[in-house]
Amino acid sequence: MSQEQIANRQLWFILFIMRMSAVLAFLPVLTTADALQDAWISVLVVLVGSEIIVLLVAMLCAKFPELTLIEYSQVLLGNWLGKILGLAFLALFLQLSVVELRLYGELLMTGFLPQTPLLFIAVGMVLPATICVQQGVEVLGRVADLLFIVFVIAILIALFLTGTEIELTNLQPVLARGWGPVLRGAVVPIVFIVQIWVLGMLAPVTAEPEKSIQVALTSIAASLFTLLLIVLTTIAVLSPQEGARVNFPFMVLMRAVRVSKFIERIEILVIFSWGFGVFISLSTFLYAGAKGMAQWLGLEDYRSIIWPMAVLWVFLTVHGFDSIFEVYSFLKPSIVGPYGAAYLLGPLVLLWSAYGVRTIVNKVRKEN
Amino acid sequence: MEIIEFLKSLIGKQQEDEVYQLEDLDLSEREEYVNQMKMEADFQKNIDHIKGLLGSSLDLSIRETKIGVTKTECAIFFMDGVTDEQAIEEILEKLQINLLEIQQLTVEGSLSLDLIDRVLNNKDLSFTDQIAEILKQLALGSTIIVVTGLKEAIICDTTKFETRDIQEPEAEITLRGSRDGFVETLSTNVALLRHRIRVPHLWIENNELGSLSKTKVALAYIKGLVNEELITEVKSRLEEMDTDAVLESGYIEESIMDEMTIFPLVKRTERPDIVVSYLLEGKVAILTEGTPFCLLLPVDFHALLQAPDDYYEIFPVGSLIRALRYFAYFISVLLPGFYVAILNYHPELIPVELLMRVTSTRDGIPFPLTVEALLMEVIFEILREAGLRLPQAIGPAISIVGALILGEAAIGAGLASPPMVVVVALTAISSFTTPDFSFSITARILRFVFLILGGASGLFGLQFGILITIVHLAALRSFGQPYFKPFAPLIWQDLKDSIVRLPRWFNQTRPQTTAKRELQRKEKGQQSQPPNRGGN
Repeated sequence: MSQEQIANRQLWFILFIMRMSAVLAFLPVLTTADALQDAWISVLVVLVGSEIIVLLVAMLCAKFPELTLIEYSQVLLGNWLGKILGLAFLALFLQLSVVELRLYGELLMTGFLPQTPLLFIAVGMVLPATICVQQGVEVLGRVADLLFIVFVIAILIALFLTGTEIELTNLQPVLARGWGPVLRGAVVPIVFIVQIWVLGMLAPVTAEPEKSIQVALTSIAASLFTLLLIVLTTIAVLSPQEGARVNFPFMVLMRAVRVSKFIERIEILVIFSWGFGVFISLSTFLYAGAKGMAQWLGLEDYRSIIWPMAVLWVFLTVHGFDSIFEVYSFLKPSIVGPYGAAYLLGPLVLLWSAYGVRTIVNKVRKEN
Repeated sequence: MEIIEFLKSLIGKQQEDEVYQLEDLDLSEREEYVNQMKMEADFQKNIDHIKGLLGSSLDLSIRETKIGVTKTECAIFFMDGVTDEQAIEEILEKLQINLLEIQQLTVEGSLSLDLIDRVLNNKDLSFTDQIAEILKQLALGSTIIVVTGLKEAIICDTTKFETRDIQEPEAEITLRGSRDGFVETLSTNVALLRHRIRVPHLWIENNELGSLSKTKVALAYIKGLVNEELITEVKSRLEEMDTDAVLESGYIEESIMDEMTIFPLVKRTERPDIVVSYLLEGKVAILTEGTPFCLLLPVDFHALLQAPDDYYEIFPVGSLIRALRYFAYFISVLLPGFYVAILNYHPELIPVELLMRVTSTRDGIPFPLTVEALLMEVIFEILREAGLRLPQAIGPAISIVGALILGEAAIGAGLASPPMVVVVALTAISSFTTPDFSFSITARILRFVFLILGGASGLFGLQFGILITIVHLAALRSFGQPYFKPFAPLIWQDLKDSIVRLPRWFNQTRPQTTAKRELQRKEKGQQSQPPNRGGN
């Protein structure tokens, strides 16, 4: 079998969709802190912070264009430490996907399917993802191609329709309560950028791995600009207090739309496209997890462990949290902040310093 | 004398045994037996062999005559109906008169193959001493001449088969465009293609498939435009095919498909203009003897929703019609599912007045919505199949009776609600807009799947179904080509001719993935400009 490959364009789409779907529905800038009308400034902070992190991760990946995250951890840190770090990454992928799936499930249950058991929704989302990954990463790339268009069109329609009800006074006063809440609002979205570690699994299968830095930077920037637009619209339409109070501000925003008598309740459009986005990120995490696990265990093909992983995943989604409030308390800046920082800074510091040491040692050896 | 009689009876018995044995042989053993048989020196024996092996079929004609100065005995075999009678008469004339003349002129006493070759002067003439070859050619419509003293038989090509006239294909109607369709004869079909692509680069390769039917199968492509790997792949798949008969191109289609799926991975058509348009994109056509349906491959999802009219009409018309067809296809797949899902699980999505209207009509209907929808859909499918199988004279009648009266009666009897009938009828009519019949069957199957998913878990079920379908489509390949291109994988350049068709001066390149050669169709700047009219 020839090497599976995805185009750089597809990687761009995948990163964009993952980033959007992770933060779209519950708009953490708004709901996790009291930044209120200044939440959009938080997004700008997020933009700067995320880009720095993405740059660090992507540069690391570009140093080893042929190797995955799991492989080069072991190259840099040696067998034992590398394996431990690899396991940590695998756990991270699992956790991220579980949280995202749980959030989506809760959204569906509160908004549309109050009597449906969570297990059903979890299986309904994981099963297509599993089938997709089973077919290979190429198929994932192609599906991302198609769903990206659907996703973007849906967001554009949503913004366009809500545009008529914007109240710009809702955005005032700017920075009335100082930088504190603004920075606090930026914590969770920045932390969510830990997703970017999947780049370490995807970059080696792209057509031009050396360009992955560019891809990652532009993709994340584009997604954050879109987020900025959405946050601005949400605040301007809903008023900041209302936006911060509800669980899923974007859905409430869409619910407010009423174009003539006939077009109302178009939030279903957003839910659908968000579901597609969740599907893409679930598939990506599943691919990254399965591929990583296979390499960690030294298996030849990752396909054999997809199904067991999917089952574990559904189990954790259903039983990992008791209710949505537990998910939310997990997402509070004070809890998820240090957690995410550890996942971001720990591996980065470890890997980069190991890389530095390696280069120096190599240099010294060469000189001798 | 007695001894001779005894010997004769022995020989007779032996011959009887042989015949008896022959009758006892199974097909493959029989073929093996025939394969090792050769012409013998004895003229009568040869004739007996051929007669015996053909079981004196109804259409087997044998004409025995004496030819040449030596009055040599000779037998002419041919099959009535598949041969050209005029050609046979000519052969007889040449053998009986011309041969004599030549022999008298050149004073050649004995008959030789060379002499007969010169005399017959047929466009396609060969010699063989293999009984198997003789029988095969006889079945194909050739005329066989067996002459005393010659160890090889002469085979003259006299094939002629009664064919129907070229007519407009009934299943693929267009408003504009050519009115000719393929027929059952391969040579006529090939001529229809040659007529349209008049360069020597149109290559048509001959193959033979089916151990019993020996069907001629032609592979048509434009050399230099087609991907050579594709040709090799198609050929190897055809070779791998092991079957005894090919009665329709569908036999080939199923055998050479990449994998089993409800989506058609090969396009079939009866229209030469469609075939030519595919060939020009660097694709391959498989023409089969005995059927007007030609196979085209590789095929993409979006090509199945194209109709020739899209290209023949000017581009805004063509584009809009095609976009409409896409819309109709989605309706024909999703509408019943959506209707059931929204009414069952998300009634709040419907504007209140409409909802009131719909629910009020459902008063007193004894079935759940999903069952009602399934019932109506199944009734419709039965009607459609019945309309197809019935003789043409009563087909329309049953459609009217079924569609109108049954629908009306179902509402009257309180078995179905009027909105449901509207939904089912709209779905059905939408499905008729699909130009490719096999593709509309796909829609019919999917419709039931989505109906059940929508009925089971509302829009979430539909989303689940759509995701699975998309993943399946993205994973499918038709002869190694991604099936769902140019949407997934996204190929920007090829979107110019997908849901819409851009004007011809934008369509300068062939599709990227099929024809990797000669991408440029024509030069840029083909749009005509009116001349400057001056001041007024």
